[in-house]
Amino acid sequence: MTGGVVFPELLHGRDDEDGLRSWTIKEGSTMRGAASCNLAERVLEVPLGVGALERVVRAHELVHARVSPHAHHLESALDEVSPRALECAEELRVNTLLARLGFDVDVLRDGTEKLGGRRVAEAEVWPEGICFFIAVLGTGAEKEYLSGIRQGCSAWLPALRAVRKRAVAIFSQSTATLAATRLNDDGLPSGYAASTLVLARLLTQTMEARVPTAPEELRVFRRSLEPGARRPATGRFATLVFDDSLERTRTAGSRSVRRSRASTTGTVLRYPGRLLTDEHRRAFAQRTSSRGGVIVIDQSGSMDVERDALEGLLRRAPDALVLGYSHRPGDRGHAPNAWLLCDRGTVAATYPSGNVGNGVDGPALRWALGHRRGDEPVVWVTDGQVTDSHDHPDGSLTRECAQLVRRHRVRLARDLNEATALLRSNRANAPSSLAAFGRVGRALLDEGER
Amino acid sequence: MLESEAVQSCWRDFADVLSAGVTRVLLYGPPGTGKTFAALLHGTTGDAERLVCTEDLTSGEITGTWMPSGEGTFTWREGPGIRAWRGVEGRGARLVLDEVDRASGDALATLLAITDSPASARWRNPDTLEWIRPGPEFSVVMTSNVDDLEDVPRALRDRFPVCIRVDRPHPSAVTSLSADLRAPALAGSLGPESRRVSLRSFYAFDQLRRHHGAARAAKLVFGDQAAQGVLDALTIGAVT
Repeated sequence: MTGGVVFPELLHGRDDEDGLRSWTIKEGSTMRGAASCNLAERVLEVPLGVGALERVVRAHELVHARVSPHAHHLESALDEVSPRALECAEELRVNTLLARLGFDVDVLRDGTEKLGGRRVAEAEVWPEGICFFIAVLGTGAEKEYLSGIRQGCSAWLPALRAVRKRAVAIFSQSTATLAATRLNDDGLPSGYAASTLVLARLLTQTMEARVPTAPEELRVFRRSLEPGARRPATGRFATLVFDDSLERTRTAGSRSVRRSRASTTGTVLRYPGRLLTDEHRRAFAQRTSSRGGVIVIDQSGSMDVERDALEGLLRRAPDALVLGYSHRPGDRGHAPNAWLLCDRGTVAATYPSGNVGNGVDGPALRWALGHRRGDEPVVWVTDGQVTDSHDHPDGSLTRECAQLVRRHRVRLARDLNEATALLRSNRANAPSSLAAFGRVGRALLDEGER
Repeated sequence: MLESEAVQSCWRDFADVLSAGVTRVLLYGPPGTGKTFAALLHGTTGDAERLVCTEDLTSGEITGTWMPSGEGTFTWREGPGIRAWRGVEGRGARLVLDEVDRASGDALATLLAITDSPASARWRNPDTLEWIRPGPEFSVVMTSNVDDLEDVPRALRDRFPVCIRVDRPHPSAVTSLSADLRAPALAGSLGPESRRVSLRSFYAFDQLRRHHGAARAAKLVFGDQAAQGVLDALTIGAVT
């Protein structure tokens, strides 16, 4: 044996793999990101110098080699957690083990942390702010990083401290539990599943959360970090994800929806009052027919779409475009949250019953408005509740939807039968009826008063 | 871990080959993995003959040589090659040829004759003029520290249809080590030469640390530069 400084082959004790193999060593450096451990190809990139920092960086990568999960274990979690959250939570596990093994993790800093923290906070990139904090937690870089955050946006600090407390609690398990690589019932290394994955889930929902500033917001935020607690509010809609797997059949109906429009010419004087009130004196009724319209249906927990009602709609408006939506709280774009029940002459053979939450009210309305043809009516079947991607009711999102309703003359309905009836009328909802539409209704009334 | 390694490793191949009756096997690979140890003991019941090849090895050291008897006369003394042919009661025994890649010249030619197939192999004792053939249980295991088989003379290699690369010690070779060193010792020879840790080093380290502590033992065995790296790897590997 000659001159080696790192001996990955001597690591042993992993229960989730068999077969001893040699490693390839590449020279890296102590700068952040310049050392790595590629478990699949057995490549260790580490600084080869003899200093204290070099030694701990090498040890850090060796701990990865000893306990970190293989790529296929990580991939299986990516539908529920952010890759960055997973990466940073694993960094915390490795640093925690490193400290318990007696390595001086105080030396783990490269001098860029303070400036990095300040820039992240100034740019208000909360997801990276919280993830990087976890990655350096417990190391010599933590204090520097928090100092930078304080300079950039000190309002983040209480939330960061709350997350720190929870993370430390998760990683307070025994060293044997944290380092275990025995596969659990789900086929995942048990140490990773019991610590990294738990924290990564928490981080993922925290990354999406609105940073709490007011005392009450902070209290709710802290509560959201407890096991089994409700996710924190995000203040944002989720992205619309369509379910393209629905089978569709062509509709047989052909009857149009008949509507009357006020007109300056005609044979029936339906609106004599307009001779006085309408500057164009549109007092005659002119029959128009419409085969369609756009209906947006909130299919969250409190709402439902009955097959009979849908068929009734199709008899009246066979070319209608009917969009159902409901978001699974916390989902990161893997579960569809929107589907076309009817699409201009076709109808879905089966359709989802909903995903508990609203979460995409605004995007659904915008999509519907973007797909209306001419001046055809748009009807929103809603209970008046508007929620964010974690299914928290949100005042600003409610006002956003109310503005869309007012600006684009979207009609509100409580169920599909009412929506079908509204397709036949060209009237907006009467102010007296808005009270039945909860927060959205109240927001519309407030706007009306202003 | 040790069990599964034992089942999967090169040693299983070696055991399977011997149990199938193959009598010419070449074991090669990094030093310090117990190739010679296994060649001497595995798959043979009697005492094996051992021959360590060097550039200076002569033909006489293989087959035998005239030795002064002390009364102005010489007596013929058979070498390990012929002794292995004979074995106990002519049945033949195991011949272990170590570091065979180093043999050259006359010695190599003699080794070719000794390791020839049983039907072709024969040798005449210059003293008794007796023709000798290998006994039915004669077997040869060659060992070499080369990483590439091309470094073994082709003619010699052709006599050994089965070549097994041994890159780790036999599990039974680490049982005398302290429990925490057994698994690392099995893997110590896997890396490139610059960070290979032989089985002998582990035994020395194990013995020394009992008296002088791990840090000093590591420095004495692995050297100043590598000691910390070996200790760090052992510490991290043992995390529980």
